[in-house]
Amino acid sequence: MIQLHNVSLTYQQDASALNNINLKIGKGEFVFLTGPSGAGKTSLLRLLYGALSPNSGQVLIDGQNITRLLPSQIPLLRRSIGVVFQDFKLLHNRTVFENVAIALEVLGWGKSDIGKKTMHMLKQMGIESKYNLVTQRLSGGEQQRVALARALVNDPKILLADEPTGNLDEANKNQILAIFKEANIRGTTVVVATHDRRLIEQGHKRLVTLHKGEIVEQMEKETTGNAQTL
Amino acid sequence: MNKWKKKQPETLKPFKRPTLSGYGFGGKAGFFLSRAITNIRQNVFVNVVTIGTITLALLIVSLFLLVFVNLENAVENWSERVQVTVYFDKELAAQELTALHGKIAALSGVSRLTYVSRAEALKRFKSRLRGQETLLEGIRAEILPASFEISLKRSQRDTVSVESFVAQLKKIPGITEVQYGEEWVRRFNSFLNFMRLLGALLGGFLIVAVVFIVSNTIKLTIYSRRDELEVMSLVGATRFFIQAPFLLEGLIQGLAGALLSIILLFGLFEGFLHNAGNFLTFNPVSSGLGFLPLEYLAALLLAGAALGFIGSLTSLRRFINV
Repeated sequence: MIQLHNVSLTYQQDASALNNINLKIGKGEFVFLTGPSGAGKTSLLRLLYGALSPNSGQVLIDGQNITRLLPSQIPLLRRSIGVVFQDFKLLHNRTVFENVAIALEVLGWGKSDIGKKTMHMLKQMGIESKYNLVTQRLSGGEQQRVALARALVNDPKILLADEPTGNLDEANKNQILAIFKEANIRGTTVVVATHDRRLIEQGHKRLVTLHKGEIVEQMEKETTGNAQTL
Repeated sequence: MNKWKKKQPETLKPFKRPTLSGYGFGGKAGFFLSRAITNIRQNVFVNVVTIGTITLALLIVSLFLLVFVNLENAVENWSERVQVTVYFDKELAAQELTALHGKIAALSGVSRLTYVSRAEALKRFKSRLRGQETLLEGIRAEILPASFEISLKRSQRDTVSVESFVAQLKKIPGITEVQYGEEWVRRFNSFLNFMRLLGALLGGFLIVAVVFIVSNTIKLTIYSRRDELEVMSLVGATRFFIQAPFLLEGLIQGLAGALLSIILLFGLFEGFLHNAGNFLTFNPVSSGLGFLPLEYLAALLLAGAALGFIGSLTSLRRFINV
């Protein structure tokens, strides 16, 4: 599903952010990316949803080399990838419903279909009663669930998360992790960047450790049905 | 069963744009328009600021235009005084009169041609000395010359044209004495040119300033909503899809601003400027200033719409990285 071949990335003038990364993530895998701040976790994720282009190397998603995409094709790539962030990136002057529906409006769905699917998604996240509140009024955990609903509402093949639990307490972390697991069980490939040890331990999944832009360690916590051997 | 599943692009590979199912062109335009209107309602403050800026900016430009147009009109009316007069020592006989009339009228640039007989000349003289008619006692029409008064077409009133016209006139046999106030014509025309240059300069500076202020205001308002642009691009919106509501919003802001500025201008005009001409006596022919002609108002509306639209377009370019 995701393949990186000899990928290097340098920000202007700075030392390289990613250095000769080779990584294969199979369909339906659940991978944690970890490592200290500045190790390149976020950069790696940004490569995957086309927000950055590597200086060298190939990034393949579902067999498609996304480094060769035209700018006008990037949106179509992103429609099959859901992304969530530590700071949620919600629109604060819009309601929960509108924040989630936006992902379907982009696809050109009709109003009633959007309504049904969005409410269904909110129900799955357990926030359907808050659909008409502006997101500012929600707690952090609720906001992250809205962000997850937006990321998952169009049934993406891949779910990327950048420190998704960074702003959340334990109870909320567990809920969010449960949502990731459920999405993974339904066949979505999940990549979570985090340095939250507890999250990784509870996840029992494949772990990729980055340090200074390089993969220093890969391990399988526990073989699951989906995971591939390295 | 799963109605919405069908509408998903099946695979990533072909990277074909899926068409917007369930939307025709009208539906799409309707969606963008309703999105734009929702945006305006959800960002009232930002919109008030933008519309206010456009209103004030266009009000300044239109005030300038109002003054300039009126000044032009006044000066145009003054130029009616650019007149060429041909004097004759004797009264012309009817036959001579028609022959000369025909020849002069045949010259290019003549807009009005009147024969002033001696009797007519005396009548004018008397009316000019109204109240002091005693001065004219004993004066008969014979001492005054008969003349042709020639008004020139608007395009022929500059110094060079007037001179060449006079040269042509002098070639007609029977015409000896021609007067046209050379010095006055020259001064008048250089004044006219100076005024137009000044107007163009001032107007140019004003327009540059207005474009600068409005485009910066729009840039700031769009900057304040960059998270919205980011989210849209994250969920896979195309550039067009992200831009369209913002561009419509800009268009609406521009039109609203232009309309408001015209209403304000009209209010100012009715309140203060309407009678200004009376004491400024710009215009000896008709006192009072005129409001901007319709085509100027249409141009103002158009300028407002263009300001809003282009301002939004150039600002969006900076913040969308799709």
